[in-house]
Amino acid sequence: MINAVLVFNNAGQPRLTKFYTQLETSVQQRLISEIFNLVANRPNSACNFLPLPPLLANSSKSSTPTTPHNDTPSLVTYRHYATLYFIVISTSTESPLALLDLIQVFVQALDGLFENVCELDLIFNFETLHAALAEMIVGGVVVETQLDKVIEGVRSQGTVAKRPVNEGKGGLGFAGFGRGDGNIWAGR
Amino acid sequence: MASGSGGGSLFSRNSSGNVPAMRGLVSFIADLRNARARELEEKRINKELANIRQKFRDGGLNGYQKKKYVCKLLYIYILGWNVDFGHLEAVNLISATKYSEKQIGYLAVTLFLHEEHELLHLVVNSIRKDLLDHNELNNCLALHAIANVGGKEMGEALSGDVHRLLISPASKAFVKKKAALTLLRLYRKYPNIVMNEWAERIISLMDDPDMGVALSVTSLVMALVQDNQEQYKGSYMKAANKLKRVVVDGECAEGYYYYNVPCPWIQVKLLKLLQYYPPPEDSHIRKLIREALQKIMDSALEMPKNVQQNNAQNAVLFEAINLVIHLDTEQDLMVQISTRLGKFIASRETNVRYLGLEAMTHLAARAETLDPIKKHQSIIIGSLRDRDISVRRQGLDLLYSMCDTTNAQAIVQELLRYLQSADYAIREEMVLKIAILTEKYATDVQWYVDISLRLISMAGDHVSDEVWQRVTQIVTNNEELQIYAAQNILQYVKSDCHETLVKIGGYLLGEFGHLIADSKGCSPIEQYMALNGKMRGCSSSTRAIILSCFVKFVNLFPEIKPQLLQTFRAYSHSLDSELQQRACEYLAMATMPTDDLLRTVCDEMPPFPERTSALLSRLHQKHAGTSDKRTWVVGGKDANTELKELSIAHQPTGLKRSFTNATPRDNAPSATNGTNGLNTLSSDLAGLDMSIDTNKVLKAPNLASAAHLSPDWEIGYYRLLLRSEGVLYEDAQIQIGLRTEYRGQLGCLIFYFANRSPFPMGSFTTTLDNRAAETLKTDIKGLPDTVISPEGQSQQTIMFEAKNVFEDPPTIRISYLAGSLQALTLQLPVYLHKYMDAAELSGDDFFKRWKQIGGAPREAQRIFGLVNKNRTMSMEFVRRVVHGFKWGILDGVDPNPKNLVGATVLHTTDGKFGCLLRLEPNMDTQMFRITIRATDEGVPPILIKAMEERLSQGIEGVL
Repeated sequence: MINAVLVFNNAGQPRLTKFYTQLETSVQQRLISEIFNLVANRPNSACNFLPLPPLLANSSKSSTPTTPHNDTPSLVTYRHYATLYFIVISTSTESPLALLDLIQVFVQALDGLFENVCELDLIFNFETLHAALAEMIVGGVVVETQLDKVIEGVRSQGTVAKRPVNEGKGGLGFAGFGRGDGNIWAGR
Repeated sequence: MASGSGGGSLFSRNSSGNVPAMRGLVSFIADLRNARARELEEKRINKELANIRQKFRDGGLNGYQKKKYVCKLLYIYILGWNVDFGHLEAVNLISATKYSEKQIGYLAVTLFLHEEHELLHLVVNSIRKDLLDHNELNNCLALHAIANVGGKEMGEALSGDVHRLLISPASKAFVKKKAALTLLRLYRKYPNIVMNEWAERIISLMDDPDMGVALSVTSLVMALVQDNQEQYKGSYMKAANKLKRVVVDGECAEGYYYYNVPCPWIQVKLLKLLQYYPPPEDSHIRKLIREALQKIMDSALEMPKNVQQNNAQNAVLFEAINLVIHLDTEQDLMVQISTRLGKFIASRETNVRYLGLEAMTHLAARAETLDPIKKHQSIIIGSLRDRDISVRRQGLDLLYSMCDTTNAQAIVQELLRYLQSADYAIREEMVLKIAILTEKYATDVQWYVDISLRLISMAGDHVSDEVWQRVTQIVTNNEELQIYAAQNILQYVKSDCHETLVKIGGYLLGEFGHLIADSKGCSPIEQYMALNGKMRGCSSSTRAIILSCFVKFVNLFPEIKPQLLQTFRAYSHSLDSELQQRACEYLAMATMPTDDLLRTVCDEMPPFPERTSALLSRLHQKHAGTSDKRTWVVGGKDANTELKELSIAHQPTGLKRSFTNATPRDNAPSATNGTNGLNTLSSDLAGLDMSIDTNKVLKAPNLASAAHLSPDWEIGYYRLLLRSEGVLYEDAQIQIGLRTEYRGQLGCLIFYFANRSPFPMGSFTTTLDNRAAETLKTDIKGLPDTVISPEGQSQQTIMFEAKNVFEDPPTIRISYLAGSLQALTLQLPVYLHKYMDAAELSGDDFFKRWKQIGGAPREAQRIFGLVNKNRTMSMEFVRRVVHGFKWGILDGVDPNPKNLVGATVLHTTDGKFGCLLRLEPNMDTQMFRITIRATDEGVPPILIKAMEERLSQGIEGVL
């Protein structure tokens, strides 16, 4: 199953943290920063997969409430788009490439929702971000992958809000991280 | 695809009038973004938290305000700050009437609360209300909350409602798919909430026309299958069929093509599901799977330029490869994939290299022979030097798995060389793996000792305790190792070596030092000097080991007793209480007037009992803990055959090794759990229980079995027992016609399913249950259409081969969705007599054979009357039944013309059996006497049973 979906920017600030196994906030933060360090230090030519080092796996395991089924995360799948890292943490039984595709669909869905999505959209509309994720993943399992249905699902909840007028695009040097045209996705 | 955003301008942000922007929230976020330093951010947040706390305390907030403050808390939480208040206000929001407020409330519940949170039981009722709501959006919010925080309590309270949303024909697709995954989550938390009776209905949803529903139901079924293989076996056929339809027939809704690949996610899921069952027996299902796999292989041949398409294609391809490896029967495909994988691991694409190595590791885990992999050994070794650590790890796994006696030395050498430059992150695992390989494939004494000691000296701090302890155990249990090991370890200890080696030295020299005392440079005093020299620089646990070694020396080498006593005296003042105690005890023991006690205590160590290798347990710990069971583990074929016995680490891997023999191990019987000096180890050595599931669901009923036959099944059954074609069953909705043909031991049944209702039947499924599986072989030649339109018809062919005499006829379960799930279980008229051919015999021949066969046990006889007074019998009726049971009626053989005599030959794969009949009807008393003799004693009782059942009905009975 998928244990967590994380989005953070190049500086390591979290923009989306969604854990499907319950962790304490402090453990979450430690995990996020450790994973960020692991991922950010990888060159662009490296593959999109990173087996989770035992250190992390242990720390997260010990702090989950004991349940009969314990899903130990063991694989990090990530993609890097301009200023943002999209990261999926999962058990070894998920297909890594399918997760990669899932990230791509997620990003495209956000792009569809926000029209040329940029980091600012994600900051100001975190509830939309969560809604979009909820349309795609339920309880750690993929529920929908069809782009239009995801977008439609979020829109029917009517929460796509305006970006505040006083904040221009790329205000603090955040460039948009995707373009409307589906063919030139630069994500790796 | 992404340009779809232009469509719904109604909701896009340019005109979103329906969402009142929360100005306070926006300016708060802006403030935080403008905070240049972390301290400023913290200050601003603390101010806001104080503000919100105050507002909540004052109370009297309206819905909008509550929402706004909860939003702020959420944002603070997302930034990584702990939010420990406001949870109650958030929870209250979910019962708001306004959707936007409700939505924020639910979001807060899923982010702030966890499944054991005390506030959760307050929300169960609100969630139930939303589950029952007519507004689907509210249903979705509720489902989503359960899927995030649902625990046992929620599961017990709400699983029924979730299930109802899943199966109700009124549910919209987007509700159904979420309900499926919510159920999955609850099942994972608490398996008992999924009722046994739900199985058939859930499986039928895999055929849902909506791809999203099919995808999520497949995920659900996949989880259920792992614990309840038998109960959900119907899903195998469904998955195979669906896979073929998606892949080969391109049956995939328009929007689900992802860069020209038809819904890769469902393909991956289906391919995975198929790996949870052993390879199928039915030739038709095998064919479906083969076609799909071949198609996947073929379409992956073209390498598209588009990165996304390539990804999607490969995602499917790699899962397909896993399935091929799992099936292990498709030789053609196997050859294709080994060449394909060879190319992948040399690919320039890092992702492909990574996955190629992983798939090859799977291959090594299953393949009969490692030869196709060994061809690539140099490339694989090269991958240890890949720029990417992920690839290096995979390379390590693969090398570990592909090791056997022929290449072990080379691979271990290579791993040792790489160990020096390996990343710290994987050194410990490497050391474990090298140690396991060394132990497993050692063929000569020196090699094992050399490599193990070199490994420990090189890896130093990365050696876990299990590794060195295992070495001492192996040496203790194998006499031929002891002298060589003692000599070598002494050399190490004399030089500047790692502390771990000193530990081994302390143990081995204490036990086996006397064996080498006569060699040059190994005299007792030299051994003592070497160890004593290390005392200073070592940790106290190592010193303790050395002290124990010295007390053994007192026993072995009386000549150095003064030096030893001096050491004990020195340590009897140690500040370390453990060392002090040991020193004092040893001193007392060594200075006793007689050395009886000393000799007993320091007696040679008994061999260690056979036990699970701690190394393997430790290695496998890394793979534990996924709810989706892995179908294989890293390691060679051995590791995976053990997995099948559910005892991966319980298998004792013999400590006693035979070093002259190439076979890996001779499993000495486990010794009793004797106590010995290293007894404390055993807790560390406790094996790891891989996959015994404590939550096993109770044995489920098999609805396709004869115990669940539908009312009125017998009408068609008896009708078709004597005929080759006709109607097997009919009611207002469905008519099932059957045509049969028997040739020799082969029988072919063709079913015709006709829909008589004005509505289409969905998810049409047939499940066969064969009680006589050993002697009656079935082969499903095709599947009926999944959907049968009104007035439409579909057919299915099933072959039955009589391997030998069988008794119980098979049964079939037919189910379909017409609003709700409808199902029938019918008994098939496949009885032994169907495989008989009437024979012509002359009277003389008949009597000759009758006598040859003789009486019991190859004869059976029954006398019986009609079941009911209202029934009667006639000669014509009797002849017809006898004829229907495929007897050749021999007229004029019996002197009494009313008696019937018959002969027939039964065909089975194992041989033919001759059968003879004598039937004496008594028209006056309405009684029969029937006698059957056959060349096999199993046949007569079975034939008599069926004939009695039929004849006793008389006419006016069922016909």
